[in-house]
Amino acid sequence: MPDVSSRPHREDVSIRQRIAENPGPALGWLAGALLLFALEAGAVVHFVTGLFGSPVELPTLLSRELIPNNGYQTPSGAWQETFLGLPAAYAWALRVVLVYAYSFVWMYWLWRGYLVFRENYRYADWTPRDDMIDRLRGHRWGQFGAIIVFAFVVMALFAPALGPTTVERTISNPYSHSIEYYNDQGQLENITVGSANLDSRSQGTPQQNVGPMQYDQFGRFHPFGTLPSGKDMFTFMASGARISLFIGLSAIIVSGLIAAAFALLTAYYKGLVDLGVVIVGDSIMSLPRLLFVILLTVVLSGTWIAEIYSGAVILALIFAGTGWPFLWRSVRGPAMQVSEQEWIDAAKSFGQKPRVTMRKHMAPYILGYLLVYASMSLGGIVIAVAGLSFLGLGINPPTPEWGRAVDIGQSYVTTASWHISFIPGVMIVLVVTAFNALGDGIRDAIDPQSETGEGEGNEAAAATGGGA
Amino acid sequence: MSRWQYFAKRLLLSIPVLLFGTSITFLVIRAGPLDPVSAILGPQGDPQAYNTIRRQLGLNQPLWQQYIDYMVNMFTFNLGQSWVLQPDTSVYSLVLGYAPRTIWLGFWSVLIAIFIGIPLGFYAGLNPNTFSDYFASFGGIVWRAMPNFWLAVILMSVLSQSEKFFFGFDWQTFLYSTNVTGPPPLPDPIWKLFTNPDQFVRALKKIAPAALVLGSASMGNEMRIGRTAVLETINSNFIETAKAKGVPPRSLVWKHIFRNALIPLVPIITGEAFILIGGSVLVETVFDISGIGFLFFQAVKNGDMPLTGSLMFIFIVLVVLINIVQDLLYTIIDPRVGYEGGA
Repeated sequence: MPDVSSRPHREDVSIRQRIAENPGPALGWLAGALLLFALEAGAVVHFVTGLFGSPVELPTLLSRELIPNNGYQTPSGAWQETFLGLPAAYAWALRVVLVYAYSFVWMYWLWRGYLVFRENYRYADWTPRDDMIDRLRGHRWGQFGAIIVFAFVVMALFAPALGPTTVERTISNPYSHSIEYYNDQGQLENITVGSANLDSRSQGTPQQNVGPMQYDQFGRFHPFGTLPSGKDMFTFMASGARISLFIGLSAIIVSGLIAAAFALLTAYYKGLVDLGVVIVGDSIMSLPRLLFVILLTVVLSGTWIAEIYSGAVILALIFAGTGWPFLWRSVRGPAMQVSEQEWIDAAKSFGQKPRVTMRKHMAPYILGYLLVYASMSLGGIVIAVAGLSFLGLGINPPTPEWGRAVDIGQSYVTTASWHISFIPGVMIVLVVTAFNALGDGIRDAIDPQSETGEGEGNEAAAATGGGA
Repeated sequence: MSRWQYFAKRLLLSIPVLLFGTSITFLVIRAGPLDPVSAILGPQGDPQAYNTIRRQLGLNQPLWQQYIDYMVNMFTFNLGQSWVLQPDTSVYSLVLGYAPRTIWLGFWSVLIAIFIGIPLGFYAGLNPNTFSDYFASFGGIVWRAMPNFWLAVILMSVLSQSEKFFFGFDWQTFLYSTNVTGPPPLPDPIWKLFTNPDQFVRALKKIAPAALVLGSASMGNEMRIGRTAVLETINSNFIETAKAKGVPPRSLVWKHIFRNALIPLVPIITGEAFILIGGSVLVETVFDISGIGFLFFQAVKNGDMPLTGSLMFIFIVLVVLINIVQDLLYTIIDPRVGYEGGA
């Protein structure tokens, strides 16, 4: 036991100094994190260099190059060019399992990191956050949400590695790529992906349909079946998940920042500032949201910003611009509450700068509420983006978006190709329900009284299909 | 602050909201990169005609002049004409032509949601933690998360081949022979709907699937909130007191529990109106009901600015009105209004 009194008080030492004093656990954790990162560093390098030009290829653990599932079946039934000669479906499934296992290990490692911090570097033995985490651990409904959200986020992050094929090969540029297969005469034949797709279309008849978990005649495995154009639907969905998550997250982050800033300012200064924001917010809320978003999407469709990431950036900005008053409304109450507390008065009379007071004494209190409503509205954005693509607006084709798959499959719902419309809809329902459930979980964790207190206010905040 | 003072404050606040909302619409439509002249002329218009039309429409005037004209026109309810979609038709006649179908749709979607959602929620709340409660609660959660457009697509397809899915029950020939999609057959003078039961049932059958879809989200919401509200009321002290006093169970449920549980449902029911204004676009598109949402969508897609602006103004007025009605209801029902702060 070192002599505590001879050193500055633990609370006054910055986290960096605390780690410098006892680097062991932190270094151990960091080494593990680096090891985990190194396995997938190639994918990150690929992505970053891809933003500035032609991407750099590096060996990566969880890539389709290392565990290929695109091969062909010889007449004797053996598989060529797939991973270890496994059937295409198993090779693909193996890759999916590995990707999820890898992500799970990451999750576990981050949790370990938090524990390391808690045990070795945090000055307080106990903080209210510990209780929140304990409550979240007993919240089955919230955990259900967290698991689905985790699955969705991993699907979006690893979209290129998860699909049985890539967007480039099957959707955007199918005639520049080719595959090999054994034709009816038993000869190895080369065919472009585009021509192969023409024979693997899902057109509603049992003869012309590739359903979920089926092979087409070229030995390509389609976990979700194919689209009416013969393109692989799982690849489409994974890539669509990425764009949905991108729009949802960036819109929520931007509108969350605006909402938090306004909530703090209005709660701190009250009076005219509050009135001004109320009027601006109410005016934006008085425009029917979906119709206004449709209007903005059409009006801004010709601008340069609508070209970035197939229109995802402009959509995110539109949703942020129209969505912040809803978030602000929901954190305004808690912000007002905290601004009435004695410690705010104390901070004011100490002569603390308003900015510091808001950041240090008010922001932490509303952050939890913001998280709850952000999680719940994220589902609404996913639905609205899908609704826009369903109408043919928003994300420019051919970039995949879930709503477009629903649109494409409309006329096949009662036929053999039911999967085209059905699967995206079920996935939207799952993701939206999961974000709502996660929001419920966080709410009960930060505010255990809310279940009996003001539950109905939060109920209404949950995202519903009514938005689109 | 008394209840009516609170209400007056809300009423006063709606004026700047109306002004500001309309200004935002103007900004988006006129100051945005949308060019209505080329929308009228098509891609190969000659510059001569282009300039003529531009002058006719007043687009060569400075922006502030256009802004003042627009605001004055809107607030004197001089809503102008359509330029592109149906040239030279006044916005009024277009709205009168399209709105009845949307109102018919909205009316039934509100009603279906209320009559299914609230009783289910109250039932679940009165029998908490039973199998039927879990079934209803879970059903409500999933049901409201379903995107309207997807539900509409699925329902439309299933109903058009209902004999395959419902053991020979054929929706299309049920009662009256109709297609699943298409506008509801509303009689020409609209009041015939109420004098002629045949017309009424025919129009109702046609709108029912779309109304069910449009009401789905609110139905789920009403169920969830009805359940929570009943549970909360049951566990509150005044119910205990009433029980101890010997109030009979029937009057306990109807007089003490239901009336109080209805309060949190008010904003949900009025809030449905927003969904009807905004969400009807997709449902109307799928079910091919040429209503007001469909009209708005077409106007936006074809660059028909004046029609878009006028429709948006109508929507803003409607939303503000609904908000006032909601505040009024609150003021009447809940005596605590105005005491909890919040503007």
